[in-house]
Amino acid sequence: MTYENKVIDVKNLKTYFRGYDGMIKAVDGISFFLKKGEVLSLVGESGCGKSVTVNTIMGLIKSPPATVSGEIIYNGKNLVGLKQNEFKNIRGNKISMIFQEPMSSFDPLYTIGQQINEIVKTHITSNNEESKKLIIHALKNVNIPEPEKRYNEYPHEMSGGMLQRILIAMALITNPDIIIADEPTTALDVTIQAQVLKLMKELQKQYNSSIIFITHDLGIVSEIADRVHVMYAGKIIEKASVQEIFDHPLHPYTQGLLNSRVKKEYKGRDLPFIEGYVPKPNEFPNGCRFNPRCPFKKEICTSEEPKESLINEEHSVCCWLYKEGENNENS
Amino acid sequence: MKILEAISLKKYFPIRSGVFLQVCGNVKALEKADIKIEQGQTIGVVGESGCGKSTLGKLLLKLYDPTDGKIIYTDKENNSYDITSRISKTVASKFRRDVQMIFQNPFDSLDPRMNIYDIIKEPIAANGMYKNKREMNNYIASLLTGVGLYPEYASRYPHEFSGGQRQRIAIARAMAVMPRLIVCDEPTSALDVSVQSQIINLLKHIQQENRMSLIFISHNLDVVHHMSDRIIVMYLGNIVESCASEELFNNPLHPYTKTLMSCIPAWNPKEKKLGKTITEGEPPSPINPPNGCPFHPRCQLKMIECEKVKPLPHECGDGHSVACHLYKK
Repeated sequence: MTYENKVIDVKNLKTYFRGYDGMIKAVDGISFFLKKGEVLSLVGESGCGKSVTVNTIMGLIKSPPATVSGEIIYNGKNLVGLKQNEFKNIRGNKISMIFQEPMSSFDPLYTIGQQINEIVKTHITSNNEESKKLIIHALKNVNIPEPEKRYNEYPHEMSGGMLQRILIAMALITNPDIIIADEPTTALDVTIQAQVLKLMKELQKQYNSSIIFITHDLGIVSEIADRVHVMYAGKIIEKASVQEIFDHPLHPYTQGLLNSRVKKEYKGRDLPFIEGYVPKPNEFPNGCRFNPRCPFKKEICTSEEPKESLINEEHSVCCWLYKEGENNENS
Repeated sequence: MKILEAISLKKYFPIRSGVFLQVCGNVKALEKADIKIEQGQTIGVVGESGCGKSTLGKLLLKLYDPTDGKIIYTDKENNSYDITSRISKTVASKFRRDVQMIFQNPFDSLDPRMNIYDIIKEPIAANGMYKNKREMNNYIASLLTGVGLYPEYASRYPHEFSGGQRQRIAIARAMAVMPRLIVCDEPTSALDVSVQSQIINLLKHIQQENRMSLIFISHNLDVVHHMSDRIIVMYLGNIVESCASEELFNNPLHPYTKTLMSCIPAWNPKEKKLGKTITEGEPPSPINPPNGCPFHPRCQLKMIECEKVKPLPHECGDGHSVACHLYKK
């Protein structure tokens, strides 16, 4: 992988919070990169650190009190430890974010137009005429009917799906290099979810931007992602292309996740499931963090943490069951 | 044996405004629903948010009073009562014991100031099931083991448990009075995927052991299909289709059901199917539902008739009923 192709390069990122009962290692040494024009999906259950990861990239984690270490290389610059006023040129301009709950992402006291105008004013133009034209064009782009009317309306006058599309328009208006989408469809209904995903796919092709897409739903991953990183308890445990993840999942946790989909064939039988619960972030087990729930547990799993081993060009996994370069054993 | 039967059940929530709080409109949450629940049967209710599925569940539990229609409750001795109007204390206590509920969010449905023992004890004590304290303790311990928790957990408080464990406690609480019907209002939607299957398996096991009936409300078609014998599809307060769950998946009739099915992600990166199906628009507001068929503004197979006449549910053989003009003879 050549350096120019990487839009963002995260190396050994750690985000710790100090809690009442010890250090909370929300993100514990993860490395990944994002290529130009691809959709990278971070998958994991709640509490695995996927939201903290992207919030750290966006510079939304205040440090101190939190401790952030490692490197986030964007455009040859390290974003870790960057001053807030330097961050202003990047956040919302070069890297923008779509949040989970569209209903609570807007300020109820300002109109849609005013809120988008804030971004346009900071990053593009302070000419009001020009910015209004730009905003209405952006709203049209995400299929909002009657954008001129919507411009002067308040968030409560719109439905969740419409607000999410406005949020997407807001994220795209500065033509960013990277869009971070933090569970953008979780709060929406299935029919609206399908619309939003379709829109995101189209716009991504049109703008050729790179997306980090966070979700817990592997079904959505199969629809939108190019590459998938599976997270568990603050670590990335498996990295692969989307086809590889669905065809040959290697880590027992990934296999468990894929199996716990409710399929039609299971009717009348028990569903397969993963034993136990996700560990709390202040009491992660020693060794591999998945070991208390793992059906293939060995002695080494409880004592030593597995390193990332490359199975093939587009697939790597952190598990003691696999050795570098081979693709064998259980399935 | 029947447990509950609802006959053209209707619920409007009045909107009041002005100084004198005059009624200026209605949220039409549920329109003329007919449901019959037999012993041991599971009925699934699917639909998007705001379609009235939770309202239906709460009406059946008599947490809301219906605007119109009847709910007939049949007790163990096969006596039937109409419970829509005021009911006598004896009937009420029987009904409350027979019908229980599991709520969506286990983080809200358990009192944070009560320990697990007290939470489970409350319905048992209210129904006067055990006078002897030791018997009660043993019963609560057996309930906890029944839902896969250790009896020692009884002295802990809800905040010490994860979401999946809390939902298990909620199930134990609902099971405590040995009900004949449990209404589950999205019991797994607040849980992680790996824990969801555990809870579904547990519900299924408990149901089979006790020959209980379930009303399973969810927006997830796959989960509803797995749980239920019969499925009811709702849209904007109307039941648009109802039939056996196999039949619904093999032969969906209503255009809305077909839309719902096509919106389930494929789980296969080779056949990305979401881009192919187009569902324009969003559900209209239940305050001002469209004339005629409620789905017609989004329906691709719209006819002139759909805008004027509201289709009524009618049988198309095999207990498959659908409310759509397309299937009228």
